[in-house]
Amino acid sequence: MLAPAAFDPEGFLRNLEDWTPDAARQIAAAEQITLTAAHWEIIELLRDYYREFDSSPAMRPLVKYCAARLGADKGRSIYLMSLFPGSPAKLGSKIAGLPKPDNCL
Amino acid sequence: MVAAAPKRLLLLIRHSPYGSSLARASLDVALAAAAFDQPVTLLFAGDGVLQLLPEQDTHARGVKNIGRLLASLPLYGIEQVYVDAQAVAHYQFALDTAPLKAVPLDSGQISEMFRNHDQLLGF
Amino acid sequence: MNVILHTLNASPASSACSDCLRLLASGDALLLLGDGVYAALAGSADRARLDASGAAVYVLDTDAAAAGVLSRVDGVTIIDIDGFVALTEQCSRQLAWY
Repeated sequence: MLAPAAFDPEGFLRNLEDWTPDAARQIAAAEQITLTAAHWEIIELLRDYYREFDSSPAMRPLVKYCAARLGADKGRSIYLMSLFPGSPAKLGSKIAGLPKPDNCL
Repeated sequence: MVAAAPKRLLLLIRHSPYGSSLARASLDVALAAAAFDQPVTLLFAGDGVLQLLPEQDTHARGVKNIGRLLASLPLYGIEQVYVDAQAVAHYQFALDTAPLKAVPLDSGQISEMFRNHDQLLGF
Repeated sequence: MNVILHTLNASPASSACSDCLRLLASGDALLLLGDGVYAALAGSADRARLDASGAAVYVLDTDAAAAGVLSRVDGVTIIDIDGFVALTEQCSRQLAWY
């Protein structure tokens, strides 16, 4: 378990390097989410996005990136909303250990 | 009632990626415009074309990688990207390896582009 | 009116200056600010480029005075801040070079 000090006041990991699958489960639990294979697929995709673009995606690029990588069925906001309710880009990034997307205007 | 046509915004990007915070500032403006579905055009000129060099590696320096951030712009719906052909010729690098696809323009085409936009912001 | 007001705030040796002069259109307005005022120095090669650009050239009085070039910019129009504001009203768009 990561100590509370590992997180910022909004629950985002302060250091990318602290992230592990267990950390993801811990963050998800705090958000009342039980991670399934479908969640993990998006979490991995978010981490790939971060490696490729050095940033966390806003909703629009996340949907496009999902569509390009996982197909049109999963590249839809309704699908992402079903996994990460409310704000999928923000919540997904949080669980994936990424910084808060800074383009959520 | 007919909605007013959105203002066409042109960002003229003339500074290098890490010499100042201007590159980040121009990216922030581009992303803000895209978030509000405002059409935005990027035009790299002068030292701004250096933002398009491939193989930027900022890991050790601990700052965001401008090249990679630029690569994400098409996912934000930003597709109108141009570059001053003269500046690219000056620095002698090939655009086909740039992180963001950019169409080269000559001087006359750039002057024309200034006139085809409603607002011009220099960075 | 389809005139662009270009403001140039960089020395004549800069790429901002050369790019601005290359890319502005004949008939555009060009206001020199800060280090840009040196481009107006009478008799200089930079001044010749300015004159050849076809732009209507202005310098801001306070900046030209600070630089000590106020008496050396014959032939360009010296304006104050109110003149700057009036220019922005006359031009459809503005573009800052620096």
